[in-house]
Amino acid sequence: MKHNYQSRSEERMKRILTIALLGAATALCIPAHAAPKGDGRPDGGVLNYSEYGRPATLDPITSNETISLRITELVFNGLVGIDEKQEIVPELAERWEASKDGRVYTFFLRKDVKWHPREGDAPQPFTADDVVFTYNIMMHPKTITPLKVRYEFIEKVEKTGDYTVVITLKRPILNALAKFSFKIIPRHGPANPQYLTREDRFARSPIGTGPYMLQTVTGDGEVVLVANPDYFKGRAHIDKFVARPFADQNIMAQALMFNAIDMIVLVNPRNLPEVQGDKRFVLQPYNALSYSFFGYNVRNPLLADRRVRQAITAAVNRQEMLDSFFNGQGTVISGPFAPGSWAYNLDVKPLPFGPERARALLIEAGFKPGGDGIMEKDGKKLALSLKVPIEKESEAVKRVVLAFQNYLKGAGIAIAVEFKEWQAWKEDVFLEHNFDIMFASWVFDDSADISSLFHSAEIGDWKNNFGGYSNPEVDGLIVESKLTLDHEKRRTINRKLHAILAEEQPYTFLWTLTNYSAYHRKLRRVQIHPYKFFSFADEWFIPASEQK
Amino acid sequence: MKLAAIRPVSLMLARELGITALLLFGVSVVVFAILYLAPGDPLNVLLEGQSPRSELALGMREALGIPRTWYGQYAAWFGKMLQGNFGNSIRTGLPVLPELARVGVYTLTLTLGSLALTLLIAVPIAVHAAAHGDTAGNTAATIVAYVLSAVPVFWFGYIVVYVFIHTFSMFPLISGTAAKQEHAWLYFLVPIFVLGVASGTLSEMIRHLREELSRVLAEDYIRTARAKGAAVWRHAFKEGFLIPVTEIMSAKIPFLLGGAVIVEQVFNWPGMGRMAWQAAQDRDFPVIMGIALVAAAFVRLGNLLQRVVFTAVNPRASRE
Repeated sequence: MKHNYQSRSEERMKRILTIALLGAATALCIPAHAAPKGDGRPDGGVLNYSEYGRPATLDPITSNETISLRITELVFNGLVGIDEKQEIVPELAERWEASKDGRVYTFFLRKDVKWHPREGDAPQPFTADDVVFTYNIMMHPKTITPLKVRYEFIEKVEKTGDYTVVITLKRPILNALAKFSFKIIPRHGPANPQYLTREDRFARSPIGTGPYMLQTVTGDGEVVLVANPDYFKGRAHIDKFVARPFADQNIMAQALMFNAIDMIVLVNPRNLPEVQGDKRFVLQPYNALSYSFFGYNVRNPLLADRRVRQAITAAVNRQEMLDSFFNGQGTVISGPFAPGSWAYNLDVKPLPFGPERARALLIEAGFKPGGDGIMEKDGKKLALSLKVPIEKESEAVKRVVLAFQNYLKGAGIAIAVEFKEWQAWKEDVFLEHNFDIMFASWVFDDSADISSLFHSAEIGDWKNNFGGYSNPEVDGLIVESKLTLDHEKRRTINRKLHAILAEEQPYTFLWTLTNYSAYHRKLRRVQIHPYKFFSFADEWFIPASEQK
Repeated sequence: MKLAAIRPVSLMLARELGITALLLFGVSVVVFAILYLAPGDPLNVLLEGQSPRSELALGMREALGIPRTWYGQYAAWFGKMLQGNFGNSIRTGLPVLPELARVGVYTLTLTLGSLALTLLIAVPIAVHAAAHGDTAGNTAATIVAYVLSAVPVFWFGYIVVYVFIHTFSMFPLISGTAAKQEHAWLYFLVPIFVLGVASGTLSEMIRHLREELSRVLAEDYIRTARAKGAAVWRHAFKEGFLIPVTEIMSAKIPFLLGGAVIVEQVFNWPGMGRMAWQAAQDRDFPVIMGIALVAAAFVRLGNLLQRVVFTAVNPRASRE
């Protein structure tokens, strides 16, 4: 699935699987060069970065959270990669050809790539066998991986030579090339060559082709990575990356201030002012392709009326909440696509805050103020339940929810808030559909596919259209958008979808928050990929004088 | 231990060990039942990142060979457990037993260290108060100890961290790091200090020990001993000191374990408490079961130790 409900802040942020494709891919071949990079920048130094929690597994197949995702980004490579300008660039494949009908892709692999050596062994060469192996192990029924559903469009992966791989698709799809960025693992890696489980040794001591090699994982899940001297793009500048787990975000910020770590990958909004005021550190924003929302259960007849949903949105002051609870670090949004993605329609403006309009809409929908100020219709009070998952760091969320309740009280709508434990909340919302309003966030990839959120075929147990929203026009546009192979046409369809859903308000779309990474000034040339984070980390460096 | 005490002690031990086995079995059933009844499926953790469709989860269950019924699952777990295999963590795939042993050492260091510290503070105050009655010195010390015990341990932890950072310019947060740390030994002691002082055990230990010791010192046999000119402390030691100390220690182990969970969070201490916290969030039932059993065994062991001391001191008690 392309979307994930993300709610328990960082650790629960799900992995997102495909990548933006902007502009045409160029088959540019980077000449092979041995270590070092030879770009005149110094090698050496250590980067200690903090994670809020510990990674579960370190291989790119069984892992499904962002902490692991960031580490696999350092250890592994895909056939293709993404550069700073979001363009597809060669990685393990040095060039490729696509058939005219867009169903067959032939990849010509680099011949100078070696797997990280296991202790005591010579490094083995990377070949076409590894690519076929990776695909097969990923699709094996006993391998549990979020990748499987993402690659169902592939019919088969075949080796036609030691360094040539042919990938045949079931049907041509738009942006297929970007999807071949999945990480390749070595055939000699996993102990079980059939399928990969979390119990396999490979899941915690993986070897890859990437700029960094796993050295050790300490008793507490501190992950130590060292530069791969034989990296095919040239040895990475910084000698060592150390991922240090923290159980408390405030302590993490203190650790940065105290130079116990050099980088926080995601700063808690509450700690931003503190870091901002310190000249030793750089705060770097990056886009997260995610947003928060209140979702409605339209099975409730009160909420089936579009005017009620519009009234709720009009009654809450989203900008004020964003400013007060998140220091204004984000943008209020109007529709269902990830802000910052190509599908987002900037011409649709977020509904303005208007308590009078909210009242007018409710009166138009047949409601009258009751004796206690709560709106009524046919003797029935406009009273709704709101279910919110308990988050690890939930202060901001709590404030949002209470503010929401307060705004709606002013508009004559009574909200009963119920905080629920994560798993219990998921069952209430996605299985039992026992809620009126829910609060959550989605994290997206850039395929801008919202079909699982709003298509009526996605109503059901554990499906993502939890609110039971159904609109034939939306269904039609979603299908049309999925089938088209023309990027511009798809964009037009998505803009229309955006406008309709902004009007229909199956959610009250709230905001996208800006993510900030904080790091010590000694780190130079830091480029950050929105969710893989370390994609360009082999270019980062620390000046010799500050390596200590 | 005198020879006469060995028979009653071993009898008592045999009986208590049998009870312990039953108790652990009971704990495992109850914990498993609660886990089963609690909302959420541990396998959803593995499926996080894709839509957790029931048919997908079912297929996965079959692929992994997980029995469908709860008693099937329990029986499978129990059977393996009898062979010393506690299964593998669902989240990390690591075998539970070695992992538990690894983090258990840290937690044991933390709890036993803090217990030792509590004793080190409580005993002199209590003994002094029992021997000399209320004096300005021991009243002040008792008040301080009571205040510290009343302080929530997480709050005290943060205060200590704050003081270390801002007053001493030190960063007392160990995390099993591979990096070389200055003052590493000191950082190691800080969490032990926090738990030892603020876990709430201190005040009760002082009160209990002082009461018991005062009571025993007023007993007839002590008066006789004193009259004879024999060593009062030697006579009072067993009943007035050894028994109350072991009593209160064994009674406080569960609270120490609870406090350890919090201290481990605050100080980034790689122990069982943090592991339990993570496992509970993920419904990682093999880990939760393992931790529950280890914690139960630990508490029981404390109890047993206390019984052994009590029976050895007073063999007649075992016949009651």
